[in-house]
Amino acid sequence: MKAIKEKSYQERGWLALDNAAKLFPAIISEDLTSVFRITATLKAPVRYSAIKEAVEITSKRFPYFSVSLGSGIFWHFLEFNDQLPRIQVEEEIPCTAFAVKRISEPLYRVLIKNKRISVEFIHILTDGVGALEYLKSLLYTYMTLIGRKILSPGEIILPGMPISGDEFEDGYNKFFKKLPPPSKLVKAWHLPFRLNKKPRLRLICAEVNVNEMLEVSRKHKVSVTDYFASVYLFSLQKIFLLHGEKNKKEKREVLRLEVPVNMRNKFPSRTMRNFSLFVLPEVDMRLGTYTFEEIIRSVHHQMQISTDIKQISRFLSSNVSNEKLLIVRLMPLFIKKLVIAAIYRKLASKRWTGMVTNLGRVTLPEEMEELIDSFELIPPPPNKKVKIVSGVISYKEKLRICFCNTTQSRELERSIFKHLLDDGIHVKILNNY
Amino acid sequence: MIVCVNCGVELDEGMKVCPLCGNDPGKKVEKETDSHIYPSDIIQLQKKENKKYLWELSGIIAFSGIAGCTVIDLLISKELKWSLLSDVSILTAWIILTIYLFSNKRRWTIFTLLMLTTLAALFLIDLITTGREWFFPVGLPLAVTAFILAGIVIILYKRVNLKGLNIIASIFIAISGFCVVTEMVLDEYFKGAIDIRWSLIVSVSILPVALVLFFYHYRLKKGNRLDSFFHI
Repeated sequence: MKAIKEKSYQERGWLALDNAAKLFPAIISEDLTSVFRITATLKAPVRYSAIKEAVEITSKRFPYFSVSLGSGIFWHFLEFNDQLPRIQVEEEIPCTAFAVKRISEPLYRVLIKNKRISVEFIHILTDGVGALEYLKSLLYTYMTLIGRKILSPGEIILPGMPISGDEFEDGYNKFFKKLPPPSKLVKAWHLPFRLNKKPRLRLICAEVNVNEMLEVSRKHKVSVTDYFASVYLFSLQKIFLLHGEKNKKEKREVLRLEVPVNMRNKFPSRTMRNFSLFVLPEVDMRLGTYTFEEIIRSVHHQMQISTDIKQISRFLSSNVSNEKLLIVRLMPLFIKKLVIAAIYRKLASKRWTGMVTNLGRVTLPEEMEELIDSFELIPPPPNKKVKIVSGVISYKEKLRICFCNTTQSRELERSIFKHLLDDGIHVKILNNY
Repeated sequence: MIVCVNCGVELDEGMKVCPLCGNDPGKKVEKETDSHIYPSDIIQLQKKENKKYLWELSGIIAFSGIAGCTVIDLLISKELKWSLLSDVSILTAWIILTIYLFSNKRRWTIFTLLMLTTLAALFLIDLITTGREWFFPVGLPLAVTAFILAGIVIILYKRVNLKGLNIIASIFIAISGFCVVTEMVLDEYFKGAIDIRWSLIVSVSILPVALVLFFYHYRLKKGNRLDSFFHI
């Protein structure tokens, strides 16, 4: 049954964009690329002939990524092609735009430099979970090709495995059910820092010991994500108290983070396409200033409540309901894109102050772990309002935090790292970029 | 084991060119002299391709239009009459689009080519309609004057630091100058003598507005930006 389903997806020759992906074609630009990167740093230089072959083998196992963006009358769609991703040299500036308007242009790429293997995906294709599955599979194939024997690959998707139709599915539509919409949000405050000249993006990556971070988080009886989000909000509060008064016209006094949530953990889905939503922990500065303990307690409870399946389903329902409206479906694509871009400019970017995306802990078979030093996640470059976003990923005892910063200020990163140091967590700033 | 000094990957024995960066693996290459395509180059490639597609599509439309007009004219009039005019106009529009697409935003190249194309089009229209009657006494001086004045405004726009109402004021002055030259050329062509009248009225009306704009720009607002001034 599943084999037939998978066949039908490929035989049809195209895929409809999932609910999250529908936003991106309308808003992407050379700055706001919607491209993210996951990097694995090996312990030895990458062998070119092996990685080339590994990309060829692995990409065939992930046919839903071998697509290019097409334009219909009413919607964009993903068109299957046999294009392999480009294997290129990693550049100084990460997450550069994809030429989505080129015919048969792949929407992901593999980047190599020294010991680093990176994959960059445009969010139209998949989210961090899908990209990480691809990277793990690529690393497995690469290591097999350089002569490593991996006896128990665990949950890694292997090249010979049958392709399930479930991997193609649109999780948002599959699990959609009409629910009352979530309550409206007060506009969030934005960092007041001046933007860099183009190209704006600067990276600051740091490595911390995951055990130290876990220990501190446990002391507060919260998860690492809760703890880091609280440090982030506490640092935002410091900046708000310093700079918030300068612009008195701004009535925005809510500091809010966007924290993506993997919906595969909430619903029984094996999709390799986008299937994540986000929760929005916040502190309302209209109620006064907060101690770190108050923030961490509040963030923990907000995260608990917001990630409850019933609550997060309201966001899913609200997002999917919009695309199901007849007037939206019948609107020609060029008008739809204008409307989506206008809504994004007016609403979406004003909903949060910053972003923390935590891809969690990467686990690999022992034979592979011996050859890999670290993992890194670089989130998509932020828009002109949000300005700074962060990505977190951990592997063995290393937890890496990468900030994508488009401003001339490093105040936020400094404040966050200082807080971690004060809590007894060693922070090492990396010199990769 | 060979490791490329440019991208740091390990290559198989005997490889003289790194297939990843396209360079000699033992020789450090500066990015400026590197011809390899990087991720960010693909967007530039897309822009070039889009230009080419637009040019090809516009070419198909333009030449179909020319062929269509010519055939219809031949069928109805049994000779080439009005279609010559439409053909010249369509061809001129297509050449102007070609100049814009392929001049790589070189301002003065676009300017010179536009002027030559316009003059050639006017000459051809004159030749078709009246058999070389008005182009040299009227068309040529008016077109050249218009281009010279436009050139002066462009130079001012590029040279002036504070751009705003001063540019609109200089456009007004250029328009009044063009009106004067137009009246002179037309008087000479039709009456054989120059008698400046209506262009003087236009100039007297426009110049005070230009002066007010200059005053507003330099004395009151110190370079008000056009986008903020006219924002809706």
